Amino acid sequence: MSSVAVAHHEHHHDTDSIDVFGFWLYILTDCILFASLFATYVVLHHPGAYGPDLKEHISLNYVLVETFALLASNFTFGLAIISMKKNKVQMPLFWLVLTFIFGAIFVGMEVTEFVNLIEEGYSYTTSGAASAFFTLVGTHGLHVSFGLLWILTMIIQIPMFGINQTIKRRMVYLGLFWNFLDIVWIFLFSIVYLMGAM
Amino acid sequence: MLHRSFKTASKLLLIASFLFLCGCENNFTGVLNPKGVVAFKERQLLFDCIALMLIVVIPVIIMSFAFAFRYRQSHPVKDYKPNWSHSVLLESIWWGVPCVIILILGILTWKMTHKLDPYRPIDGAGKPMKVQVVALPWKWLFIYPEQNIATVNTLVLPVNKQTEFFLTSDNVPMSAFFVPQIGSQIYTMAGMRTRLHLLPTSEGIYEGLNSQYNGDGFSEMHFKVKVVSQDEMKKWFAKAKRSSKSLSQATYRVVRQPTIADPAALYSGVAPGLFKQIIKSYHAPTHP
Amino acid sequence: MLQELIFGKLTLDAIPWDVPIVMGVGVVVALGALGVLGYITYARKWGYLWTDWITTIDHKKLGIMYMILAGVMLLRGFSDAVMMRAQQAIAAGSNMGYLPPEHYDQIFSAHGVIMIFFVAMPFMFGLMNMVIPLQIGARDVAYPYLNNFSFWMTFVGAMLINISLFVGKFAATGWLAYPPLSETYFSPGVGVDYYVWGLQIAGVGTLLAGVNFIATIMKMRCPGMTLMKMPIFVWSVLCAMILVALSFPILTVTLALLELDRMMGMHFFTQFAGGNMMMYINLIWAWGHPEVYILVLPAFGIFSEVAATFSHKKLFGYTTMVWAIAIITVLSFIVWVHHFFTMGSGGNVNSFFGIATMIIAIPTGVKVFNWLFTMYKGRINFATPMLWVTAFFTTFAIGGMTGVLMAIPPVDFQTHNSLFLIAHFHNVIIGGVLFGYFAGLIYWWPKAFGFTLDEKSGKWAFGFWVTGFYVAFMPLYVLGLNGAMRRLSHYDNLTWQPYFIVAAIGSALIFVGVCFQIWQIFISIKNRAALRDKTGDPWNGRTLEWTMSSPAPDYNFAFTPTVKDIDQFWLDKENAKEIGPIHPDKLEYNDIHMPKNTSVGFWIAMFSGLFGFAMVWHMWIPAAVGFIGMIGSVIVRTFDKDTDYYIKADVVKKTELAHFKEAIS
Repeated sequence: MSSVAVAHHEHHHDTDSIDVFGFWLYILTDCILFASLFATYVVLHHPGAYGPDLKEHISLNYVLVETFALLASNFTFGLAIISMKKNKVQMPLFWLVLTFIFGAIFVGMEVTEFVNLIEEGYSYTTSGAASAFFTLVGTHGLHVSFGLLWILTMIIQIPMFGINQTIKRRMVYLGLFWNFLDIVWIFLFSIVYLMGAM
Repeated sequence: MLHRSFKTASKLLLIASFLFLCGCENNFTGVLNPKGVVAFKERQLLFDCIALMLIVVIPVIIMSFAFAFRYRQSHPVKDYKPNWSHSVLLESIWWGVPCVIILILGILTWKMTHKLDPYRPIDGAGKPMKVQVVALPWKWLFIYPEQNIATVNTLVLPVNKQTEFFLTSDNVPMSAFFVPQIGSQIYTMAGMRTRLHLLPTSEGIYEGLNSQYNGDGFSEMHFKVKVVSQDEMKKWFAKAKRSSKSLSQATYRVVRQPTIADPAALYSGVAPGLFKQIIKSYHAPTHP
Repeated sequence: MLQELIFGKLTLDAIPWDVPIVMGVGVVVALGALGVLGYITYARKWGYLWTDWITTIDHKKLGIMYMILAGVMLLRGFSDAVMMRAQQAIAAGSNMGYLPPEHYDQIFSAHGVIMIFFVAMPFMFGLMNMVIPLQIGARDVAYPYLNNFSFWMTFVGAMLINISLFVGKFAATGWLAYPPLSETYFSPGVGVDYYVWGLQIAGVGTLLAGVNFIATIMKMRCPGMTLMKMPIFVWSVLCAMILVALSFPILTVTLALLELDRMMGMHFFTQFAGGNMMMYINLIWAWGHPEVYILVLPAFGIFSEVAATFSHKKLFGYTTMVWAIAIITVLSFIVWVHHFFTMGSGGNVNSFFGIATMIIAIPTGVKVFNWLFTMYKGRINFATPMLWVTAFFTTFAIGGMTGVLMAIPPVDFQTHNSLFLIAHFHNVIIGGVLFGYFAGLIYWWPKAFGFTLDEKSGKWAFGFWVTGFYVAFMPLYVLGLNGAMRRLSHYDNLTWQPYFIVAAIGSALIFVGVCFQIWQIFISIKNRAALRDKTGDPWNGRTLEWTMSSPAPDYNFAFTPTVKDIDQFWLDKENAKEIGPIHPDKLEYNDIHMPKNTSVGFWIAMFSGLFGFAMVWHMWIPAAVGFIGMIGSVIVRTFDKDTDYYIKADVVKKTELAHFKEAIS
């Protein structure tokens, strides 16, 4: 071969930057997943669509509180990342627990909203438009729930492993994921709730 | 060995093309033997486009064999140029020529797609006769709203007169209405209405069919299209009016039940607004 | 109650006891499986199978496993094809054939699904796994553990489809399961559920494999290999994988919505209650059209590699080739409506998508000319891979032409859904994709197994395949223009029958070709000593995968290579003519850091399989077990810190020395 490497030993690869790149790719695919769901939602919500109007069933104030819970969880997650720099376990753990609580409030409120809607007669089986609403919002909620499970795993792993390279990398992924869900929610809030209420 | 298999290949191809040719035009049951304005124009377009593309396709096929033969390893030619891999001139030619061909094809496509849009009345063909088509499991219902008659699995059309079809389906998945020798096909969808214009140009009996797979009875979901003179058309209308059966709501409820290979039927009198009602019935919380 | 939670809708009646064909196949499959399992047990190979294959994260072994899966499924999909051809050859007029519609409908649905998802896709991933890391000078893919997981997900998806043959039914909806036919109202059985869950599970595997290969190609090329110095196969795979990443999420969503309709009573695609089945058709083709290019782009890459290698000449017009691939990649996303011009969109919409489709013919045509001029002034060695390339030109020229014809909406109004369409896409998928993969398989076989394939039987297989292909599919063009539609289990027009009989003869010829291929593999394994590839470079190759021994060592490259040219190895060989190869004794070897095998991917996939099967039959407790198992396995894996090891320098040296000695002998 044309050259001889001089490194101390030969790696199969240099992990960190590659792994983050891959996680970005995953986020990209998830973006397309949500884009398809948004498209479906918009198609099935054309004016004069079959079935009851969503407008009469949603409370913007309630959703606003939900939104703030999610945004707050994102903020506390940011603090968890910053506090990791000191390589101590306590503060990141504290912020993570707080993140988990805010996230859980968000999911809890969403589930309550769904249950209320169904009781009021706006169920996912009512019409195509309603199916699209429950599926789009529910898919986001499912993502947040997986995020919560992930946060829980980190809450266990941080004290076990201490703050090492692996934990830091995983926290970066989790941060990307958590931020991404926030951005999706902003779109959801604007397109589904704000425009739906108008 | 290879030689032999190529020989068999060419022999079989010969047989195939023989089969193709010996069935002279009248044996063809599709667009190759058109009996309507639309089908005729579509065949013309098909042939024109094939001719245009052969400008590229034939040289490709010839070159593939010629180059393979001439530059085979065992063939003692001297002009071996292992590093020759770029030529602005050549590459411009094979970007350019296809571009020009596609440009011509594109213009042709734009023009003909608009001209042959199934929704558009055929130019200079006068006021169309109206027929409402309902795809049912697995049969076709044709309603002549102007004459207030209906048929199952038989379509009678006047020659040299334009017919406008309004299509939907009921109690069957998406289907497609198609009379290959007369013109285009179009989907029929429940709760929706599509449109199609056809103009048959010679009398005869043609095969109409469903081109979209829609369940067990799909293969048997075809019907006869009788193209008759204007006089005979009038006679047929009169005959149909004398039919003892009528397509009431109750009869329709029976007709829409799944059956395979139903015989043709004739109804005088159709429940008013039946076609619209069929479409509207899908605006409901359950399957009608 | 408990019984219902465990078994759901599944009862013993789900097994088609009354269908002799299925039962016969079932007995043969069961005996075959027992035989294999018995042999493994008898030969005490379970441990070897587990540690060396099932849990492997070596891309080369995964490549082989993908190809075995593709090969087995090819036999299944091909049997379906033969059954269809036989039915259509006899079912004319008063003869209804030997298959009732409800069986025939399942057969053509299964044929399409299997051939695309479980033959073409695994075949492609097999070749990619085998070759890509070697071509870019990498030790492995970016995420080896994910790679193993992707394979097992594809495997499980395929197994769900196979299980549907014996337990319950498969979908009788066609390969894309258009609603409302695939909705509960028209298809109340489990067939469509098998379809959805099988494809969802395999789809997750495919999507992650796509991500994996994008990261591999973007981040793990050896020093000096800029994007424009990548071998063309790598380029084609990169573009195909970008298409995977962009289009497979759409498939996931589409199938998920269909399943929500079926399972939860939602109304996405129902005809009533505000559903919109046209949306399904749009969504599925927004995935489906790129999928076509996902399959064919790597084949284009293979044609480029094979044409250059066997012509002993540089690939003609590398830069234009890259641009052509890139243009095709972009355009493939704006043509999906051409699959349903007959839905009644207006002239503007139809002509836009028609013309966009035709434009794809330009870069594709450019590629064909570049291949031809790669052969021009070369010295062509007509080994079997090159034969497939030569045959490809004609089939692809015809297939391309009929494709452009169907892109013209008024022509499509005549040919849509007819056998003309069937002939067209078999023309490009067999004549383009499959011929390419066959060429690639024979070309890279020695790198995977250490010996070349027997040429004589390969040429016979080639002859029968190509002849059979023309005999089987050319009559379908005529039939299509005569108004014969696809998916007919019976027809009344007796003038069609001769053509159908010719087509059936064609499928018999292809069958002989397949037999020769199986014989070829068998005889080559038997004569592997004589066919041994000692040098690691049996074809006088041009790119990095031929620099190492065959089969490639675990670590691929003893030293990370550096490249300065697209055909680096060719250049090295030219330069080394005077000096000769360097003796391994003169080199200083280092330890090589490698990832360890893991069984996690296997377990997640198995739990997914359980989950999928349970969801098909509404078995809620097993479904919960499967779901928790999946998540649990992932979490457990994150606690595992022991994930890598070193291959010692002296082991590397020994391996390299052995290869050197064999190569100069």
